[in-house]
Amino acid sequence: MKMICVNCGYIYDPEKGDPLNGIAPGVAFEALPDGWVCPLCYAGKGAFDPLD
Amino acid sequence: MKPALASLYQAVDLRQPIPPLLIGERTNANGSKLFRERLLADDYQGCLQIGLVQEAGGAQVLDLCAAYAGRDELHDMTELVTLFARSVKLPLMIDSTTPEVIEACLKLYPGRCIVNSVNLEDGGRTLRRVCALLKKYGAAVVALTINERGMAMRAEDKVATARRIHDIAVGEFGLRPSDLLFDALTFTVGAGDVTLRDAAVQTLDAIREIKAALPGVGTVLGVSNISFGLSPASRRVLNSVFLHEAVEAGLDAAIIDAAKVIPLARIQAADRVVCLDLLYDRGEGQAQEPLMRFIDHFKAAAPAGAADVPAAGFESAEKAVYAQIVDGSKDGLEDNLTMLLQRLTPLAVINQLLVPAMRHVGELFGRGELLLPFVLQSAEVMKKAVSWLEPLMEKGEVRQQTRVLLATVQGDVHDIGKNLVDIILSNNGFKVINLGIKVPAETIIAEARAHQVDVIGLSGLLVKSALVMRDSLAQYRAAGLTQPILLGGAALTPRFVAESCVPEYGAPVVYCPDAFAGLKAVRAHEEGRLVSTVWSATGTAAALRPGTRGAEIARDNPVPAPPFLGARLVESVDPALVLPYVNLQALFRGRWGYRRAKLSAAEYEQLVAEKVQPIYDGLARRAVEEGLIRPKVAYGYFRCFSEGDALHVRDGADTHVFSFPRQAESPHLCIADYFKSAEEGGDVAGFFVVSIGEAIDREAHALYEANRYHDYLMLHGFGVEVTDALAEYWHAVMRRELGIAGCEPPDQVGYVTQGYQGSRFGFGYPACPDLEAHRPVFSMLRPERIGVTLSETMQMVPEQTTSAIIAHHPQAKYFAV
Repeated sequence: MKMICVNCGYIYDPEKGDPLNGIAPGVAFEALPDGWVCPLCYAGKGAFDPLD
Repeated sequence: MKPALASLYQAVDLRQPIPPLLIGERTNANGSKLFRERLLADDYQGCLQIGLVQEAGGAQVLDLCAAYAGRDELHDMTELVTLFARSVKLPLMIDSTTPEVIEACLKLYPGRCIVNSVNLEDGGRTLRRVCALLKKYGAAVVALTINERGMAMRAEDKVATARRIHDIAVGEFGLRPSDLLFDALTFTVGAGDVTLRDAAVQTLDAIREIKAALPGVGTVLGVSNISFGLSPASRRVLNSVFLHEAVEAGLDAAIIDAAKVIPLARIQAADRVVCLDLLYDRGEGQAQEPLMRFIDHFKAAAPAGAADVPAAGFESAEKAVYAQIVDGSKDGLEDNLTMLLQRLTPLAVINQLLVPAMRHVGELFGRGELLLPFVLQSAEVMKKAVSWLEPLMEKGEVRQQTRVLLATVQGDVHDIGKNLVDIILSNNGFKVINLGIKVPAETIIAEARAHQVDVIGLSGLLVKSALVMRDSLAQYRAAGLTQPILLGGAALTPRFVAESCVPEYGAPVVYCPDAFAGLKAVRAHEEGRLVSTVWSATGTAAALRPGTRGAEIARDNPVPAPPFLGARLVESVDPALVLPYVNLQALFRGRWGYRRAKLSAAEYEQLVAEKVQPIYDGLARRAVEEGLIRPKVAYGYFRCFSEGDALHVRDGADTHVFSFPRQAESPHLCIADYFKSAEEGGDVAGFFVVSIGEAIDREAHALYEANRYHDYLMLHGFGVEVTDALAEYWHAVMRRELGIAGCEPPDQVGYVTQGYQGSRFGFGYPACPDLEAHRPVFSMLRPERIGVTLSETMQMVPEQTTSAIIAHHPQAKYFAV
């Protein structure tokens, strides 16, 4: 599931991963490490909301 | 299989271990004036509110009826069922006799509901149509004992009618007997109609006989019909006694306002006798008819008032106030509180009723079942109730409250976060001393001593504020403070607090990501179990650091030609040009707290369409039509060159030097890298200061002062995002002027991820946290001319203002140092 950062609007798409944070494509949002933050605004995982 | 109903959220057994199953009756256009008025006004949300009050009042199923002359029942019911199915946890009773409406609702409803009702009025034609639907959709049904001759009055006729319906429903259509609830009809014993003197007896007898004759079926009654025509207070007592008698006779379910049921034990013996005499039409040898004795009895009791009637009133007021807090509804609050004061002191009302209700609200929020804007509406009701009660307190009746000091730290003017914490804490029973913004450590120490506070909460949005918090902790320790310190703010992380702040102070230092974390921390302190934030790196997270990785910054990119050099003003930007750049996702979900949480995608879409978008549209209209926002811009282009981490910017005869920080870790980025050195031929930099004016600041402050928390949050969030939108818009204008607007983003997400050439870096934000840079920026742009000034701590006033340096280099993107 895609997740959106409620602070800045960045969308985490598991199909793309998060290259800026070294997250490979295919990693589900739930599987991201606890310390993972939004690559744009640094909000924590708790600031993410399901998108679809 | 147990006969049960189900909503999206829960299943409810049709046969309760302690009968009756309570079916709320107020969401009925024919039974409730308030519901009818809201329906006629197309106020579906208002209709829902009535349902939610019923739910809070103890109903287990909600009867929903929108059949009203002149209304489109099909349309009303489909709208209402959709809304109720999403927002009410109870299963619904679809109250309609029209097969088309019934089918539409059954199709829509995401659970197992019960239809109210079928009968034999037309000999069975409609009954059969509805039975086919019941079978198809698997629903339960209420069957009224009405036949071709009309409503059955005598017990034997009621039973015979029930048997005929049973034979069709079960025999012909294969419905389960347990899914049939027979309503043997209730007629009033309060109208003085001789033919109805034994109506209650006929109904009670019929319940017994139907249960005996038709194994497995259930029974239901519209209980309050029994007392039509009598005074409201006496009706509650009679209804409650009749309900008790009916349950004794075998009644399984009752359609009734659950909040108005009085337990039999609370009804005085004398009242009960009068009621029973009326119901059973007895009292041989008495001078007066049972009805007259009933009326006289309650007439006599009423003025003295006190004894019985308030018992009912008190209990329902108790539930109503609790429900009002949870639902965020202020209507009739004072009346309910007045009722409560007949039994409780003002302090007891606060401690025993209001505070637990707010605690429940907090729990709902914690479970994701209630969103922040609704929590604020609850807090508004709480505030109103407490403000009304406090002057009534006796001298010496003092609230024992944990005292919390709140402040936005020195150099920071942002107060929304701190004020939300104030709202949540003070409306959960704590005493808050709110010192405001830009509060120096010395003031915090002095006030903490003067007010003997138990906990200190520090807030700040800026990156610099995180450092101010860290640096002041040693000062607090040296001053001898021992209170726990809670830290909150956008630039903080649990790691920073645990590693950099906790060691600086002698008592717990706790990271609070939001207001509810603050609430939790204060409660933990009260219970003696508050501890400092700890950080343990898990997995690869410790090694992670956001920001662009690797890649050398290209040196051969072309330098665009600026349209002019120096500063210009744009004193009026059309708000309509700015609004399309508003990041609605960040506004709705982030700033406003309308998050998806537990809602499905479709439910969230509906919440946005019905509630959130209209709030935005209203503010956007005011922005354009009423001058709520007055966007102004000071901007310019300047020759520059980089030298190490510094950028030298030429403004006529002057040269300003901006020293930018460099990342301590790979890839070691620094803003200066995006500009060419003197040897490389120099470069051009853009700067802007944009503001939407002070109207929103002023109005938001007034809303906060007036305890209109919800509207305060909406307006403030709108201001923040429109200011960002203005920055986004003006950045786009500058890219066009520089001739680098060749690859503009197609949508909002593209702007979020900087899908355009270059970047803008805000002063005070992660790539250049130092606000000192505002000094040269103001010298170059002189934004005082558009009403923006600098505070002594280098922050811009009004609050809804933002500044940036524009880099055109294609590799320039956001990063943090």
